[in-house]
Amino acid sequence: MTAADVRPAPGGARVSALARVPAFWVIAALLLAGAIRMAQIAGRLASAYPIATAAAVLLFALLAVPFWLVVAELDFLEREPIELLVLALAWGGLVATSVSIPASTALEDIVAKLGSPHFAADWGAALGAPSVEETAKTLGVVAIVLIARSQVNSVLDGVVYGAMVGLGFQIVEDVVFAVGAVALAGQGDQVQPVIATFLLRGFLSGVWSHTLFGALAGAGIGYLVVRRDRRPAHRVGAAVLAFLGAWASHVLWNSPLLGDGLGNGALALLGVLLLKGLPPLLLILLLVRRAHDREADYYVRRLGTLRDPEVITDDELTVLRSGSARAAARRYAGERAGRAGRRAVRRLQSAQARVAVELSRDAVPGYDDIREQRKALRELGHPEAITGPRSWRHTASTVVTTAVAIAVLWVALSALGGA
Amino acid sequence: MARVTRRELMNLLGALGVVATFAGLVLGLPAIDRALPAERPVRADEPYPVGAGVTVIPPVGSTLDVTGTRPGDSAGTALFHLGAVQYKIAVRPYDGDLGSAGQRLRKRITDTPGYQVTGPQLQVDTAGGLIGLQGGYTAPGRGGRYAVFVSDGLTIEVTISGADLDLGRTLPQIEASTRTLRTDGRAP
Repeated sequence: MTAADVRPAPGGARVSALARVPAFWVIAALLLAGAIRMAQIAGRLASAYPIATAAAVLLFALLAVPFWLVVAELDFLEREPIELLVLALAWGGLVATSVSIPASTALEDIVAKLGSPHFAADWGAALGAPSVEETAKTLGVVAIVLIARSQVNSVLDGVVYGAMVGLGFQIVEDVVFAVGAVALAGQGDQVQPVIATFLLRGFLSGVWSHTLFGALAGAGIGYLVVRRDRRPAHRVGAAVLAFLGAWASHVLWNSPLLGDGLGNGALALLGVLLLKGLPPLLLILLLVRRAHDREADYYVRRLGTLRDPEVITDDELTVLRSGSARAAARRYAGERAGRAGRRAVRRLQSAQARVAVELSRDAVPGYDDIREQRKALRELGHPEAITGPRSWRHTASTVVTTAVAIAVLWVALSALGGA
Repeated sequence: MARVTRRELMNLLGALGVVATFAGLVLGLPAIDRALPAERPVRADEPYPVGAGVTVIPPVGSTLDVTGTRPGDSAGTALFHLGAVQYKIAVRPYDGDLGSAGQRLRKRITDTPGYQVTGPQLQVDTAGGLIGLQGGYTAPGRGGRYAVFVSDGLTIEVTISGADLDLGRTLPQIEASTRTLRTDGRAP
């Protein structure tokens, strides 16, 4: 790994600072236009189906929480400014969606006109929506680069912003689809179609949806911006390839391939979902993990140069570079020193990450937070934030969670006609 | 007056590039869509497959609008134009009875702002033996008729809309077409 993988960012990105960039006002105008358009749509839906709309907003907003937490954990070492994360989310939910509604319809109609109604019925959604939506979402990461280029300082940052744009898009699109299902059902202001849509779009196709596609396209933009050690053609090629990867994953998901299924029943439906969704999911997760590890290596190496076990021990360096190891260390502290131990380890890890980022900016880091948490941990009899042996409680919790997830999946598949 | 730096100018150009791409999507694609003809001639002497095995013989002189036509194995739609009158057939999986299907369609019509159903629903049947319900509705500047059939786990919804004068002139042909609806995918 080289220093070209990560370009240290200056601290923060306050709105007042962003407002000095000309692009900010253009992006703000687009956000305002998108907000007005989506408010009109939301107003129409809420006036016709107030209960269903409220239920859809609540359910899909709750669904956004685990996605947000995963993306935040991915971004643990060098956190992106909250202003930019909110901007990315708003771009996905307001701008990309309001553009996609008329443009996707138009493209699908063009497919029908140039091909045939049969072709459009089979491939219209597979060609129209991905082309428009992936473009509109990727432009969200471009917008972030335009107004705060220095904040996109690693490929992982591109992944984070792309995922946030995708998450905003996914949540708003799901709400519109859910209330659309209520209208189609023609039973009045009922919640049942909202729940069916939540099971289908939230559970069954939520994992391999816009958040994931956005992350891949965002990685390409991150690479284009950060890897200035590479030739421009190489960087542009990588960005185009990442965009095409996101587009192709979306096309595959929307395509009529395996439309006849692998037979009847929940297992057959699950097979189709896995065949269409799992390959892009694994590919993108692999790429994201690689981007995460490269960024983690960079920051952890900075901390390693301190050679100060009071700040970070060798074992803590190993823990800090992996999301699962960080979580395991918090869990281990919880087992040994209770809630206070868990909290102290979390704060210690955050303080260590802040020092790593300050070191990368050649700033003089403040060690007070680390010393405070280290002292608290010593007093709790657990001086080091390390992982412990795998506990039976964690194993049992993993087994139970997996069983519950499979049960929910099974119920969702059966309820939607798989069985 | 403050001088615009080259960096600021490039930044602004980049942002305008984003706006231009959006304009291409929001204005360009619909403009191309509008520039391409949507109507196709359709034969009025053979059944047209709407979807899910449902067929209909289109009215004489009608054209098929490909933007509203999406045939499929389990569902489908077909949109015909007869002059200024729209004749739409939508087929979907359905596990309820005819009464609830009629209520559902009426509710969807009245949920549209400005739309009202007129009068009670009457029974209607097809040459192939499908029994359905039909009624009328009004909307600002236009009127309409609807019919709904339930058969073989499907609901077939027919909506006809246009100006009153056009409707009066074309309804007999469209109703004759509706009577040719079949669910077995074969010609009547």
